[in-house]
Amino acid sequence: MEDIQEILEDFLVEAFELIEQLDQNLVELESNPDDLELLNSIFRVAHTIKGSSSFLNFNILTQLTHHMEDVLNKARHGDLKLTSEVMDVVLESIDLMKTLLHAIRDNGDDTSIGLDITDICRRLDVISNGEEVVEVSTQSAEEATAPVAVDDNADYSKLSDQEVEEEIERLLKMRKEEDRKRKEGHAKESTAPAPVAPTPSAAPSFAGLGDHDESEEAPAEKSTAKRSGGESTNAPAKKESASTMEQTIRVEVKRLDHLMNLIGELVLGKNRLLKIYDDVEERYEGEKFLEELNQVVSSISLVTTDLQIAVMKTRMLPIAKVFNKFPRMVRDLSRELGKQIELEISGEETELDKSIVEEIGDPLVHIIRNSCDHGIEDAASRRAKGKPEMGLIQLKAYNEGNHIVIEITDDGKGLDADLLRSKAIEKGMISEREADAMSDKEAFSLIFRPSLSTAKVVTNVSGRGVGMDVVKTNIEKLNGIIDVDSELGRGTVIKLKIPLTLAIIQALLVGAQEEYYAIPLASVLETVRIPLDEIYTIEGKNVLRLRDEVLSLVRLSDIFGVKQVYEGGEHTYVVVIGLAESKLGVVVDTLVGQEEIVIKSLGDYLQGIEGIAGATIRGDGRVTLIVDVAALMNLAKGITVDIRATAETTVKTKSVPSDYVVLAVDDSAMDRNIMKKSMEPIGLTVIEASNGQEALNMLKSAEYSIDAVLIDIEMPRMDGYTLASEIRKYSKYKNLPLIAVTSRTSKSDRLRGVESGMSEYITKPYSPEYLESVVRKNIKL
Amino acid sequence: MNDKLNQILQKQQKQIEEPQKKEDDVVQLVGFIIGQEEYAVPILSIQEIIKPIEYTRVPSVPTYILGVFNLRGSVIPLIDLRSKFKMDPSKVTEETRYIVMKGKDNTAGFVIDRLTEAIRIKSSRIGPPPETIHAEKGLVYGIGMRDENILTILKVEALLKRDF
Repeated sequence: MEDIQEILEDFLVEAFELIEQLDQNLVELESNPDDLELLNSIFRVAHTIKGSSSFLNFNILTQLTHHMEDVLNKARHGDLKLTSEVMDVVLESIDLMKTLLHAIRDNGDDTSIGLDITDICRRLDVISNGEEVVEVSTQSAEEATAPVAVDDNADYSKLSDQEVEEEIERLLKMRKEEDRKRKEGHAKESTAPAPVAPTPSAAPSFAGLGDHDESEEAPAEKSTAKRSGGESTNAPAKKESASTMEQTIRVEVKRLDHLMNLIGELVLGKNRLLKIYDDVEERYEGEKFLEELNQVVSSISLVTTDLQIAVMKTRMLPIAKVFNKFPRMVRDLSRELGKQIELEISGEETELDKSIVEEIGDPLVHIIRNSCDHGIEDAASRRAKGKPEMGLIQLKAYNEGNHIVIEITDDGKGLDADLLRSKAIEKGMISEREADAMSDKEAFSLIFRPSLSTAKVVTNVSGRGVGMDVVKTNIEKLNGIIDVDSELGRGTVIKLKIPLTLAIIQALLVGAQEEYYAIPLASVLETVRIPLDEIYTIEGKNVLRLRDEVLSLVRLSDIFGVKQVYEGGEHTYVVVIGLAESKLGVVVDTLVGQEEIVIKSLGDYLQGIEGIAGATIRGDGRVTLIVDVAALMNLAKGITVDIRATAETTVKTKSVPSDYVVLAVDDSAMDRNIMKKSMEPIGLTVIEASNGQEALNMLKSAEYSIDAVLIDIEMPRMDGYTLASEIRKYSKYKNLPLIAVTSRTSKSDRLRGVESGMSEYITKPYSPEYLESVVRKNIKL
Repeated sequence: MNDKLNQILQKQQKQIEEPQKKEDDVVQLVGFIIGQEEYAVPILSIQEIIKPIEYTRVPSVPTYILGVFNLRGSVIPLIDLRSKFKMDPSKVTEETRYIVMKGKDNTAGFVIDRLTEAIRIKSSRIGPPPETIHAEKGLVYGIGMRDENILTILKVEALLKRDF
């Protein structure tokens, strides 16, 4: 039972691979109907599937492939000309074949979906029979050697597999003979070696071609065995000899995923090691062991990177896997739409992560359908415009840094920016003012809005205004960027820029107040530092004029509700992020830098939090959340905080002494009172805290804007030194005057005070005047 | 002969089953304190118990979800049971622990005030949750009667179920 299951799986894998090849071959065949090799390989596919499915008792599939085989066989023998009409039927039957194979994969049999194939079988029969009568007379001497081929169907179906293989053999030999003759004619050499001979054992029997008889059976059989071996490795035996054939091994994707996860852990470990090395280097500068440690760390980091790339490559598939279905699609569409369209594919060998290859198919289908339906005009109007009647769609893939770019170019009528604007206004998507402010390029991106279609008629190909929305969502899912460019009357170029892999990415780490977030670098267009007064407010939205563009701005801390601990200076950092076709400026407080991060899921419990795509573990072992750029852009729309206003209220100027706040930290209430008294003459506001922890919380809460802190050293819970060094950790308190007020007078105490970040050191007892003057000096009053 | 053999076999079978039955009768729990009350969860649902470590806040979630923390390379949510049970917040003390519980498809850490002990209790002494007293009805598996006090036994799957 298990054996059967295994055979079935093998059959399915093989069948899907073969079919993919088949589609492409057939389309090629249509434009090149005399290519016998091509025809033979198609025939072989149909035959292999027929053989295997009859072995596995899939009767419907067997019957279907059998009728297909008939038609192909006729064509192979030149009894039948492959016209477009014939191809339509053949392609349709291949589609049915696919449906059946899918059903087998899903249900284990081909009967449960109840597909009716009698009609298509009848049509296939009509083709193979109908043409036969006419073509019989053209059969020459060969007819005698191939009586089965022109026999009626019932007879043919009784052919055993072996006999069919012989048929192929016979045909191949015939071709080789022709080749040889031709070659001989050219070279005038009687001992010319046999040209490209995939079946060497068949070579000696060339001469016996005229009478195809029993004597040939034996060698033919042998060579058949060899050939079918070649087929199963999926490399056309006719082109390559076995020695150059690439060795491959099928591996479950699950195993690769597991491997990728382990590498992820390793990368995290590496990051951590690097961080620790940095710390150690700082502490033990000049020590000898550092050199050795350095060597180990860098070699491990190098190997990890290589390993990561190597594993990533095992998951890579050529994009041809997706591209291959398009020639067929475009062919069908052009017939359906009555247009002449040519598809030109290049760069199909470009490789992409498997998961991306799976996601990219749908968007491309929609874009190409659109190009065929709306882009390319019909032959008449093309002629009128002086364009060649044959429309051209180019599909191009290439690498660009850590991205792959897929370009879809058509030479059709192009996008009409004005029409798009007016349509969008009509549908109430944008206001007229917005429309006026829109550049042409921005207007083009309107095509990605749901339910906007400029098509005058809804065909069953497109025009419902759904397709491009799908494109946008899928590309966003992959963290990709869409770029649309078009010239009216000349054509449209759509560029998709997609990161190569999803599991390990480059990210920009940014700080929003005390929290850190990682933004996928793929979505970061640039970072700029701007003065606050360059931020303008238009209709309640913050915008920034960046070069020639007006960019919406939003603060990361507003989106994620980060507690405002400190205010920034007069400048701020803006990270410009771009996704699909839109852009947004994100205001952050700090830029930490670029880092390679491993994406980890937040688990079921926290899945789907808006704005968060996942988490990663940084070198210091902390968890940092990864921003979901698409969701961020959505969230940004709902936020109407006036950045400039909030920033300015917090930096309001202080004019009178009572605006200044001094924090007195001492565990003795009496000491605090003395401090308070000393400040009274100049009228400063004094607030109190009884220990370091309390003081730190007051500073953090940002309830007061504190201008100086008086710190006692010996306190419960947190002493003065610790407090000072904690305060200094906040960048906004880097210059806050910290004045130690203590009875500790020794030199080492003073030194420690300086080390922990104190700006002044006053020893008790002190005169109120002295304290007052020190404070005055420090707050520059 | 055959009958005898069967009898012996049955007897053996009984002997094998019986001690298990006895074991089944006793539920093993781990007790802990949140606020004033003692709670417990089945020992097998606990992956590990750790001392508080740093966690990262996660935006736009209910306040009882403190954030996520790194447990040897896995990112795990941290839930404050005090806040979940609508009690006043308290400070982290020396005795505060994170209990990491593992369910069918979720793992999460829960902040508790202090651990008490491993508890063996007869399942006959576990009563159904009283309908009225507890606000978080769905979370309670039952009430365990002990000599000196009563235990609220929590339903781990319910704790691990996302409810927002």
